Parts: sequence; C-alpha cells; structure tokens
Amino acid sequence: MAWAEVVVDVTRVERPRERRGDALLLSALALPGVVPSVAAQSVPDKGIFEAQYLSYRDWQPGRNRMTVNAPAFYALMPVGDTWVVEGGMVYDSMSGASPLYFNVLSGASIGDYRTAGDIKVTKYIGNQAVSVGTFVSSEQDFLSRGASFNVQYFSDDRNRTWLLGVAGTNDRINATNGVAPNSRRNSIEFVAGITQALSPNDIVQSNLTYYTGHGYYSDPYKPLDTRPSQRQTWAWLTRYNHYFVEQDATLKLGYRLLLDSFGSTSNALDVAWVQGLPWYGISVTPALRFYTQTAAGFYKNPPFPTGYVDGDNYSADTRLASFGAITAGVTVAAPLWDGWNVSLRADYYRQDPDWQVFGTGSPGIQIFAARWLQVNLSKNF
Amino acid sequence: MAGEHEIHVAGADADVARTAADAAIADVARIEAKYSRYRDDSVISRVNAAAGHGAVDIDGETHALLRYADQCHAQSDGLFDITSGVLRRAWNFRLEPPRVPSSEELAPLLDLIAWRDVEWSERSLRLPRAGMEIDFGGIGKEYAADRAATILMERGVRHGFVNLGGDIRALGPQPDGAPWRVGIRHPRAQEVAVAGFDLVDGALATSGDYERYFDLEGRRYCHILDPRSGMPVTHWQSVSVVAPLCVVAGSCATIAMLRGAGAPAFLDAQGVAWLGVAADGTIYRPPAG
Amino acid sequence: MRIAVAVACLALASCASMEPPKPWEKGNLARPDMQFDYDRLDTRTQQHIYTSKEAATGGYGVGGGGCGCN
Repeated sequence: MAWAEVVVDVTRVERPRERRGDALLLSALALPGVVPSVAAQSVPDKGIFEAQYLSYRDWQPGRNRMTVNAPAFYALMPVGDTWVVEGGMVYDSMSGASPLYFNVLSGASIGDYRTAGDIKVTKYIGNQAVSVGTFVSSEQDFLSRGASFNVQYFSDDRNRTWLLGVAGTNDRINATNGVAPNSRRNSIEFVAGITQALSPNDIVQSNLTYYTGHGYYSDPYKPLDTRPSQRQTWAWLTRYNHYFVEQDATLKLGYRLLLDSFGSTSNALDVAWVQGLPWYGISVTPALRFYTQTAAGFYKNPPFPTGYVDGDNYSADTRLASFGAITAGVTVAAPLWDGWNVSLRADYYRQDPDWQVFGTGSPGIQIFAARWLQVNLSKNF
Repeated sequence: MAGEHEIHVAGADADVARTAADAAIADVARIEAKYSRYRDDSVISRVNAAAGHGAVDIDGETHALLRYADQCHAQSDGLFDITSGVLRRAWNFRLEPPRVPSSEELAPLLDLIAWRDVEWSERSLRLPRAGMEIDFGGIGKEYAADRAATILMERGVRHGFVNLGGDIRALGPQPDGAPWRVGIRHPRAQEVAVAGFDLVDGALATSGDYERYFDLEGRRYCHILDPRSGMPVTHWQSVSVVAPLCVVAGSCATIAMLRGAGAPAFLDAQGVAWLGVAADGTIYRPPAG
Repeated sequence: MRIAVAVACLALASCASMEPPKPWEKGNLARPDMQFDYDRLDTRTQQHIYTSKEAATGGYGVGGGGCGCN
C-alpha cells in the first residue's frame, strides 16, 4: 500500500475545540443574580405577597343564579439559601341557586362558605427541587384534605425541567339533606411533565396527569343521582409562550385534552396576548378560552327522570352534559410604587350545547352564562 | 469602588426606569458595603481582623464569590490570588516622591500570599496566619455590574447598560436595535479611544496600568502586582475583554495583565474577544473569524 | 384531537430556527408573562371556576385541594 502524500496547510490549523474556557464562565454563572433567573428554578431573592378578590355571578336566561365573593391570599418566602415556603388561603362565600334543570323541579338554594388553605415547602439541592405540601378545603358539608410531593429536576443549562409529582386526597361528604351521610372518597393523582426553553423567546411545557379515585362521587343534592364509585382521568396539558421582541408582547397558548372514565372527553384551548403599553408599564391582556366536552356515559337528557333505571348509574346534572363553552376576558395590569403591582380582570363565560363542535350537544339544556371580576394586588419584598 | 458609575436605561417608561434603576443602585451599594475594606462591619474587614484566629461565618453569596476566586486562581496558574492585597502595604502609589519597595520589604508580604492555605467552606472562612488579607478587588465591582444589569432586566428594562468604573454590562441594544458602541480608552491618552467594541448583551472590562501607578526613571509601576515577585506587571499597558458576564470579562482582563506574554493564548483558550495594548503601544487583537 | 395536532404542528414548524438560550440570554424568559403559573392565585381561581361548572378537572398541577363541586 502506498501512502499518498498529504500536504497540510499549517497556517490553517484549527484551534482545539477543547477549551478550559468554560470553567470560569460556569463558575461565574453560579454567582447569585448575575443572569436573569426563571422563577422556580432557584431560590428567589425576594418573597411575594398577593391578595385577590373575586366577584363571580352566573345565571341562566331570565334569572340570577349564583354569586360568589371570594377573597384569597398567597405568600411565598425564601428561607435561607435553599428553602422556599409558600402558602395560600381562599374564603369563598357563595349564595344563590345552582343551575336549574330544564324541568319543573326548582333549584336548591345555597348559602355556603368554603375555606381552603395550603402550604408547600420546597428545598433546592443542586439541580433539583423537592416540594412537600398539604392542603385542606372545608365547607359545611364537605371536607377535603390531602398532601402532595413533587420533584423537579433541572438540566445543567437550566433550559429543561422535568417534573414528577403525586398527591393524595381524602374527601368526606356530609350532605345537609341527609342523603348518603358520612360518605368518603379517596384519590391519588400523578403528574409527569417537561418544560423546555426552545429559544430566548420561546418556552413550552407539556404535562400528563393521571387521576384515580374511588368512593362517593354522586351529587347528594340531585335526586336519583348515582355515579360510579370509581373514577380515572387522563389529562394532557401543553402550553407554549412566545415573546415578540419588537411588539413587546407575549402570545400564550394552552391546550388540554382530558379523558374521563365517566365517559366524557373534553378539549380546552386557551389563547392570550399580553401586550405591553408604552405608558407606566401597563399591560393589557385579551384572552379567549374555547372548551368542549362530551357527555358522561350515564348522563341523561331532560326531562327528568327520563332514562333512569334503578340500579344503574344516572345523572341529570347539566355539568356532565355535552356542550361547548367560550370565555372572553381581558386583564389590565400595572406596577404601582414601591414594588406593588395591581391587576384587574373581567371575564364573560357562556356554555351552549350548540357550541359542541365535536359531535352533538345535549338537547334540552339551557344556555348557561357567568361573569367574574377579579382584582389582584401583589408585592415583591 | 473607584471610578464613575452610570446606569444607562433607554427606551423605557420613565417611572419603570426609575424604579428599576433605584433597585439596581441599591444592590450596588449593598455589595459595596458588604465587601468594602474601609468599613469595619463588612464581611471582608471581619475576616481580615480575625486572620490567624478564628473562622468567620459567611453566607451563600460570599461562598459563591470565593468559589469563583478559586476558579480564577486555577485558571491563572496561581497568578490571580485574592490574598495578594497585602502588597498594598509595600506599594504606595500616592507617595511624593514615589519609591519602589525593596525585596526585604516585599519578602514577608509574599509569604502572606497563599490562597491555597485559606480555609473556606460553604459556611465559614478563615485566614490561617495573622497579617493575611483577603479582598474581592477584580471581582466585586464586576459582580455588582452583572447583578445590577440583571435587576434591570428583571424589571422589564430592555435597552441599556451598566457602567461601574469602566466595567460595562449591556442588557439589550439601543432602542433602534443598534448595538452600544463602547470605546476603549487609550492607556496613555485617556480622552482618546484606541478602538471600539459593539455590545448588545455582553460585558466589557478593561484592566490597565494607568488606574493606579507611578512613573520613575522612565519606567511605569502599576497596581497590578505579580504575586510571585511582588513587582508590577509590565507586558501590557491595558487589556480589554468582552465576555457574556462582567465578572468573566473582568477576571480575564486582570489575568491577562498578569500573564503578560502568555495572555493571547490564555484569552483565546477562554473563547473571549479581546484587545490588548502592549507596553510599546502596539495594539493586539485576535484575527476576525 | 385535531386541535392537538394543529398546536403541535405550530410548535414544531417554528422549531426549525430555534436555539436553546444561553444562561445570559434568558432575560425575556424571566418575564412574568413568559412563565407558566407565575400568578398562582390566578391559575387556581380560574381552574376552580371551571371545575365547578364543567365535567373536566385537573391537569394543572397536583395537590391543590378539592371542593364539593364535583
């Protein structure tokens, strides 16, 4: 074998790719606060306090139905260099009637209060964050308690985050009308997800959640309502944000597909456009939500009690019917002095069986509409 | 920290800019106070006062800075040493007439320059021998510039830069999209620019022999001292470095001054853009591309 | 299902020219409106309203607590 003569042009030798260079840069990136950090990837410098007030009202054509006024609070505090504690409380006061059937039964009137609270503690260790939380929600006839455990794992460049989480809940139902006293249900939920920064202006997140529970699922206030004693759901949520540099605006998209062992399949699509305005740091966010769901397998159309068979599952609850819904809303947010921020949100929601685009909507249910206003005050400290 | 400080914000609402700038300035002042040699209650002063005695408690921020200083020591083969400030006791650049310290004056000080002997952990710091000193010169101001720029960015500022005594960190181009055109001072004619760099979101830092110095018998003695000999470096009049972070740009520039003739190879290995003005005034820049 | 495919295609189509950001290029990703669930109270409130009026619940994170609204 003859060796071919190889001429090497010594003036064009490439510099070696192996560099010691990254050591200084990597060590510098470990200094706190030298590059902007995406929240939740590291212990924040500052805590957050948030107060919100929700005013909700819904109605079916011709009558006012339910009103809810709910103050809520949330606070997050870093503790030391590696711990974060956060917690929230909400106090709902509801009054009015629940949505009517399209029949002669009058709707029950509710005057009810709900208090709910939760606490979560997170520890950051290197490229991981481990969270443990507990939550409780209490109403006159319903008590829900549970705990959650989440692990997040960040890639070295922090462009990718893996999430694994589990939560267990125990619910106890004691209806005020004496139906099915002391009923319970237990459930456990798992989530696996990934968040990926695609570019300096693009980020996507996709989560898969599996829920399984057994126990009492029927609605004790609806006569003859008998639901399966087991339920499993799969939910796949994907969200995507894109920042438009020239317009100083963010497009937020979200899609959730949910499959329910009760028989219902639902699609929810969220679109929002966060537009920064050139005055006072104000932003305006119009938003739309498109939602459809197919009816639960045991849902029966009005008139009540058509289709009821003793011993079989049955529900005339219009929340399990087939319909589509659209929410149109707008939020206006502005920074105030001294680290305070305020935002106002208004939404209008309408459920209509004719809007079920993946099949036929349930006949005979009335259009349901709601509006809510939300004012939110928060401070970084 | 010496030199003029400037926070330049463009294209933003005046109230947003002011709030953001106030927060950035407050953080710069915080770092200045925390690591100042001139304040008795600073971390640095407490550590230096305890030299040869007990350990001092430190927090995560100080630990991260020590880790970075350790990395600079490794990358410079020991030339960048944050315990070398003791040489200040022999070199006084304000004396009239100026004098060069003798080797007898320098020898005991050289014994106190020993970063490898410093005992440091996540929570504590101890200088093992009385008379040892530590300071974050060459790191602290640049770190403050990076933090200030980040604070501005996190408050929605998209166009501007932070300039702390000539160490610059940009946080976005000019509002029309054009980069900031940063000039490098001529080391011997400081109102003249010797060259320029375009910055969009990186940092530029310069280390030079004209910040603190004296000239004696036609020779310049500057404040950048070789920890092995205690004598000033002489190879470069100044070195400017562009890097994604100001701390990296600043330490690379200082290490380049210390490495002298070995600077171009070091800077190229770090993968940073740079410009050096040699002792005879010749300008060196790596070839483009 | 069609919507899911459309959204996936939209995301992939713009993927061609994308490079994951370096740590110092994350200024825009750190904006509150570019993060998911930056305002936790808001997400919780919206999801709670929909849970009480629709059959579907969940998908937005585990451990939020139930309510008596099925």
